[in-house]
Amino acid sequence: MTHIQRLPSYLGIGLVYAYRYTLGVLFPGGCKYHPSCSQYAIDALREYGLVRGVILAGWRLLRCNPWSLGGVDYAHQQRLFK
Amino acid sequence: MILLSILTPLEDLLRNILEWLHGSVGLPWAWAIVALTVMVRLLMVPLAVKQIHSMQAMQSHMPEMKAIQQRYKHDKQKRNEELMKFYRDNRVNPAAPCLPLLVQFPVFIALYLVLRQFSRHPPAGSLSWFGGLVPDITAHANAHWSGYLLLAIYVGSQLASTYFMSTTMDKTQRTMMMILPVAFVPVIVRFPVGLVIYWVTTNLWTVGQGIVTRQMMPKAQPPPKRSSRTPPKSEQPSSDGSAEATEEKAEAQPSQPKRVRRKKKKARR
Repeated sequence: MTHIQRLPSYLGIGLVYAYRYTLGVLFPGGCKYHPSCSQYAIDALREYGLVRGVILAGWRLLRCNPWSLGGVDYAHQQRLFK
Repeated sequence: MILLSILTPLEDLLRNILEWLHGSVGLPWAWAIVALTVMVRLLMVPLAVKQIHSMQAMQSHMPEMKAIQQRYKHDKQKRNEELMKFYRDNRVNPAAPCLPLLVQFPVFIALYLVLRQFSRHPPAGSLSWFGGLVPDITAHANAHWSGYLLLAIYVGSQLASTYFMSTTMDKTQRTMMMILPVAFVPVIVRFPVGLVIYWVTTNLWTVGQGIVTRQMMPKAQPPPKRSSRTPPKSEQPSSDGSAEATEEKAEAQPSQPKRVRRKKKKARR
């Protein structure tokens, strides 16, 4: 993919970084997974583009709930999009 | 802007609750905000209880966790990965999940919108707090000296809550999380005082919850005295593998005989 084609996902990555340094600081918390949800979102956006990246990140956030077990879960291990 | 209109139902709900707290319960507006914050946090208590149980269950796995932390002392990435794997295998995960955090953001933004609405169309009743010490809770925090006092309390409460919430983070990240809130003060100064009240309340709740959680934990065993036993730094890399294997055994073994002894005592009684 060229940089121009990747532009939308760069926007998403920028938003995640913006979150990290604003709301992420004001509402401190952890994450049950490795890598953390925000890092997962950045990886997913980078590897799968904006649309699929957002879906993957959203699904990860839903899994990062009090009833899940957490664990190691990298974006490239996803099985939603083949 | 689309995002803000999605929040309209939540905004209405919060305004209705505030109006009920003010009109029917008879609280001044500022205390109504405090009460609303407590209500939000009360709804989240079951989640905290779940986490406390998880932390208590984790206590028995402390030696193994310490061993992992020791083994990957110099590789943050790998250490995190191994710890998370360990949590999953043992079905205990003391880390806070992200989703409940996400629930707080819409509440926070919706409350901001409600207070902004209040400052444009002031509701009936006094908007002051503590008998006029804080003249108007819909005004910006920098409009009156009491706002700065509140901001100071806010920064303190923020640092304290970060201290309790970021237990799973590494040191550099934690330091950054402690410094950044101070850097945000120039922005927060333009927020309505009511929002700062919400923030202080929710932070203090977090701190209280953190203290209660720590007291509910069984007392941690004193850390093994390492200083005298650890070999000088120059030797460490060469004896990595063998030294750690013995360390793991040494840490795992003493806990087992203790447990057996305890059981016997109970049986006698």
